[in-house]
Amino acid sequence: MLLFSVLRVDSASTMQLIRRSDCLWEIPQSGAMRVPGRIYASARMMDEMRSDPCLTQVANVACLPGIVGYSLAMPDIHLGYGFPIGGVAAVDAEHGVISPGGVGYDINCGVRLARTGLQSDFVEPRIERLADALFSKIPAGLGSEGAIPGLSSQQIKLVAYEGAEWALHNGYATQQDLEHTEEGGRLAGADPERISERAYKRGSKQLGTLGSGNHFLEVSRIDHIYDARLASALGLHPGHVTVLIHSGSRGLGHQTCDDYLKLIVSAVGRYDLKVPDRQLAAVPINSPEGKAYLAAMAAAANFAWCNRQLMMHLAQQAFLEALAITPRELGFALVYDVCHNIAKFEQHDLDGRKRRVCVHRKGATRAYGPGNPALPEALRPFGQPVLIPGDMGRYSFVLIGLEAAMRETFGSSCHGAGRRMSRSAAKKVARGRDLFAELKALGVTVRAHSRGGVAEEMPEAYKDVAEVVEVMEAAGVTKRIARLRPLAVIKG
Amino acid sequence: MNKTRADDTPLYREVEHTGDFGIEVTAPTRSELFRRAALALAALLVDPSHVEGTKPHIVDITAADDIDLMHDLLTELLQLFAADGFIWRDAAVEEHGPKLHVILHGEFFDPSRRTSRGEIKAVTYHQLTVEKTSNEWRARVIFDV
Repeated sequence: MLLFSVLRVDSASTMQLIRRSDCLWEIPQSGAMRVPGRIYASARMMDEMRSDPCLTQVANVACLPGIVGYSLAMPDIHLGYGFPIGGVAAVDAEHGVISPGGVGYDINCGVRLARTGLQSDFVEPRIERLADALFSKIPAGLGSEGAIPGLSSQQIKLVAYEGAEWALHNGYATQQDLEHTEEGGRLAGADPERISERAYKRGSKQLGTLGSGNHFLEVSRIDHIYDARLASALGLHPGHVTVLIHSGSRGLGHQTCDDYLKLIVSAVGRYDLKVPDRQLAAVPINSPEGKAYLAAMAAAANFAWCNRQLMMHLAQQAFLEALAITPRELGFALVYDVCHNIAKFEQHDLDGRKRRVCVHRKGATRAYGPGNPALPEALRPFGQPVLIPGDMGRYSFVLIGLEAAMRETFGSSCHGAGRRMSRSAAKKVARGRDLFAELKALGVTVRAHSRGGVAEEMPEAYKDVAEVVEVMEAAGVTKRIARLRPLAVIKG
Repeated sequence: MNKTRADDTPLYREVEHTGDFGIEVTAPTRSELFRRAALALAALLVDPSHVEGTKPHIVDITAADDIDLMHDLLTELLQLFAADGFIWRDAAVEEHGPKLHVILHGEFFDPSRRTSRGEIKAVTYHQLTVEKTSNEWRARVIFDV
């Protein structure tokens, strides 16, 4: 315990904050911090969070050995475990540390957006039937099992190795799907043998399942275009229907994080590392524990990409069956898939030279600008799509990465709205209300396995995601391309 | 408020946490604190009135201090449910120095009965406390949901 208390970082209420611009605040480097902290937020957001311990977490992350640049936080920042949610930290790839807390329990939790050629005025009269079909086809909620039964342990290990490529080899994906997925849906360096048998036991039946909590599948319509040229480049047109899927690595990822957090907490002492919070436990990247975690993390990330790919495949089937249309009429295609809980090795410019770093993104999305070679050829001239889900009653956004993101945030942007109300508070506020009817009155058809889950996820429990994306746009990191309004939401 | 079966004492109190879910458990003794924490976790996962308590299952946990004991015990129990599908209705806790010997009574969970209450991803170390006050033992645990 002493190892985790020797470093003192100012509490949020006494912390000095310097305003660098309308939407950027800086915690000066002091004490045990190795770099300054930077928080992207409007003045109104900062007033609300001024005494919030999430700011202390930004300062804590700045203490990580090998950290470079800044400890960053996006405007959807809120309290996490060790790292704040919305946190980004890059460490030197050779001499820095890897922290499972900087990735999170849900390894490669992420979002994918598929477009269709359908107009909303065709889908909306049929939305109940479509919602029923999606709810029936896509397993969700506690105890649900995947729609691909009987996968052997060897096949699950292959999924962890190949990621979305497994779906391609088995008829659940197209080559274009993989090209429009971050990392092609397969993170290099994965070692399925680094995932425990218990993690496989926990997750193997969950391949192709949505999960619960804040995971969802949403049918939306594109109700506003901010940049017609870029929207057209992404295949997004006014009034068209889209499908947004938010899910991750399920029990396999959660268990993997748990396994390695325990290993790394016990290993920290061997490396004479001091961090201010046990959940920030870290080891050198090139240590045996560090390498083992990265290999396991990559395998869990691959499982998540395959998971989202399979659910998209099932969603496509649901559309075809419920609407009695042909694939050509449906015009289903993946726009992009992003992860927002991950650690990746990337090249970034620092102090005038290219440097290889390990970027931890915990509730933050990669947002590469135009011309980046990591992007598929079709998207490279425009920049990377960044998918930002809001709450189930209002809207979500499609953004695009800008060149400034690479200079300012290690090519990172926000990931969602952020909660403003605890789950228990939301359930109290929801008491006596018919949320399903309220959402229907807003034009949103909800299908859920848990009424309590819907209460916890009610729109009022979330901040307004529009404000979050506006801050990122004001900072020059990402810009809005399209806004999506929900028509139907499927939840666990 | 959720109650123990035996004596109507609340099992746990919900603790506010913006993103996830927390509980505070109190008990007159250390072993009872761990027992109530185990029962509280079960109650968060499945409605206990739908669980039959007939099948025994033993869990042994050894850790350097009470924080790690609480974390490791609840993590083991969560994994027992999530990976093996076992849910418990009652628990007895024996203390042996740094080790807890826990005897559970429960059954294998049948999701078709639809009595599940929610998915818990992990037991976190965040704000995890186990402490003895002047007249009781108290623990706080935050779960990642």
